[in-house]
Amino acid sequence: MTASLTGRTSREGATADRRPRRGEGTSLRDLVIALPWIAPALLLILGVVIFPAGVMFYNSTRDISQSGVDRGPAGFENFQSLLDFAPIWGVLARTLVWVVVVVVLTVLISLALAQLLDKAFPGRQLVRMAVIIPWAASVVMTTLVVYYGLDPFYGIINEVLVNVGVIETPYGWTKNAPSAFAWSIAIAVFVSLPFTTYTILAGLQTVPAEVLEAARMDGAGRTRTYFSVILPQLRSALAVAILINIINVFNSLPILKVMTGSIPGYEADTIMTLIFKYIQTDHRIDVASALSVVGFVIVLAIVAVYVRVVRPMREV
Amino acid sequence: MKRSLRFGAVIATAAVASMTLASCGFGNAGGGSDGDTTIDLLVPSYSDGTQALWEKVIDGFEDENPGITVNLEVQSWDNLNDVVTTKVQGGKAPDIMNGGPFAGFAADGLLYPAEDVVSPDTLADFQKSFADNASVDGVQYGLPLIASARTLFVNNALLEQAGVTTPPTTWDELLDAATKVSDLGGGVYGYGLPLGSEEAQAESAIWFYGGGGGFGDEKEITIDTPENLAAAKFIQKMVDAGATQPDAGATDRTPLIDVFVQGKIGMIEALPPTVAQIEKDNPDLDYSLVPIPTKDGEPFTLGVADHMMAFDNGKDKQEAITAFMDYLFSTDVYVDWVTTEKFLPTTVSGGEALADDEALAPFLEALPNAAFYPSTNPNWSATDGAFKSLVGQLAQGKDAKAVLAEIQAKSDEG
Repeated sequence: MTASLTGRTSREGATADRRPRRGEGTSLRDLVIALPWIAPALLLILGVVIFPAGVMFYNSTRDISQSGVDRGPAGFENFQSLLDFAPIWGVLARTLVWVVVVVVLTVLISLALAQLLDKAFPGRQLVRMAVIIPWAASVVMTTLVVYYGLDPFYGIINEVLVNVGVIETPYGWTKNAPSAFAWSIAIAVFVSLPFTTYTILAGLQTVPAEVLEAARMDGAGRTRTYFSVILPQLRSALAVAILINIINVFNSLPILKVMTGSIPGYEADTIMTLIFKYIQTDHRIDVASALSVVGFVIVLAIVAVYVRVVRPMREV
Repeated sequence: MKRSLRFGAVIATAAVASMTLASCGFGNAGGGSDGDTTIDLLVPSYSDGTQALWEKVIDGFEDENPGITVNLEVQSWDNLNDVVTTKVQGGKAPDIMNGGPFAGFAADGLLYPAEDVVSPDTLADFQKSFADNASVDGVQYGLPLIASARTLFVNNALLEQAGVTTPPTTWDELLDAATKVSDLGGGVYGYGLPLGSEEAQAESAIWFYGGGGGFGDEKEITIDTPENLAAAKFIQKMVDAGATQPDAGATDRTPLIDVFVQGKIGMIEALPPTVAQIEKDNPDLDYSLVPIPTKDGEPFTLGVADHMMAFDNGKDKQEAITAFMDYLFSTDVYVDWVTTEKFLPTTVSGGEALADDEALAPFLEALPNAAFYPSTNPNWSATDGAFKSLVGQLAQGKDAKAVLAEIQAKSDEG
């Protein structure tokens, strides 16, 4: 296949060269010409995205035994058992809270951080490096550090809180659903900051100095300048940051898995941790696949709505 | 065109993002060639030394059996089930696996009966209770590799400080002693109750069986029973009285045993390897091993056996598998394996060889009164999972009856 493709490549490539750039043949012909260049990417997408997705959809409609044997088609029974699972609504609501709170906090803090890092001050280079650290460290590692810090018996965070008098006795932060969830949100924000901050920082550096000068000459104050001049120009940077954060946070497993993994019941679960529980404790690959499909559809819906409403790709 | 491209990009992005969890299977099979037989061995990690221990066994086996190669794969206990399920689903089951529950595999017709993969001598050497525990409908599928039993570890110094002279033998005495130890304060707690997901089914079994109830048998899982309800209510009484560590419902076993080793827990139900852990991490700890306190003092221990099981992947490997099993269970190799991992032997010859081991003595004494999980019941896996994710709610004040009903329902669902 490679050989025939390359053969065609050189011939078609030559034709394309002789032809004026903006020719009559638009869609199909262009696509054929581009194929040799995009084929590796397409193959990769086929192999690592489309194929596993197909298997996931397929598994969600099968009846698979606990040891992994496919016992035949199940129709929509796996989806039905999700609907019959009482805690599912709490899980969906919690997933929404998880995504919205983490993304909003991340973006707000990142906007402020990026503004700070955009100013020239002594040691800026060092501070910029420091902001990257949560990004460079493994998420599981970061989470485990906090997890052990919060341990009621030997956790250093608990000890500090007790010593400064915030609480009287060590508290099982990771043993109770609300506090474990809140700490997880804090960690998720912490690890999302570097990427978001840097994306916004890059956006800030594209704001032309003349525009800011013009705003100043027209008598705009600092606040006015920020909200009417700078922020609109950050639109595309923010759009990318928000979109990628939504998807990342929605699909984040390790933080919640570590922080809330030992809590009984389903009071701290999101869709992702529930998928994990279906796989690991219940060995229900079929139902886990069905829930993955639900998650997939939800992400798709969120992203589609976002793209329609916010129109992030529109030129400023 | 532009619009559709954009939508395509959206789909692709979302797809890439949500695929990470969905599929990690399709591992490759180790294929033999040139007339050699290759067998794949999948084992969980019991300790840091497990891999080296298996490598030693395999080296010895390959020296004696030229022409057979053993591929070792070591996984953590957490991942073992996912790994094997994925392999089975992809048609690449290992040839031999060391694991816990095997009834599901047997029910799916994936396993060789034990008599097809070991010599009659080896088969006859297993202690009867373990062989029975490894059988479904009279056919033995699992080869019990190791046994473990629970017993109560007592911190003598803490009990003495709290004015408790003799270790408890009944629940009421346990409650009384544990409350007194907890009253010492300073981050010290009387009874370590690990109802967090890690091994919640084990702690539950200790209480349910100890109160005359249990989990059922190979035909029927019985969780929602009056005896178990009484036990569940007593667990709640322990929690309410402050006799246990805080947040018992979300405390995992391993970290809690660490706390016991550090000397901050009065009593905890633990395992043979805990003896070795104390020796290594805190040899000064003044502790003793006593029988598990039960409702009315009847002797009882929870026995757990892990099994070797052989998957039927075609006749050409059966001979190699049999050779490996016979080698593994030969007395010298087997005793070395079991003692290095600090577990209890399941064979008669192994038991005789270890009869003088002092550290294991309290456990070996308890074994005759051992009750096992109903692990040959096809719904046991579901029950086990239900305990892990639900029983901790007892310690969070949820109605005991409701918790048991919830576990029973999940178990019946299968």
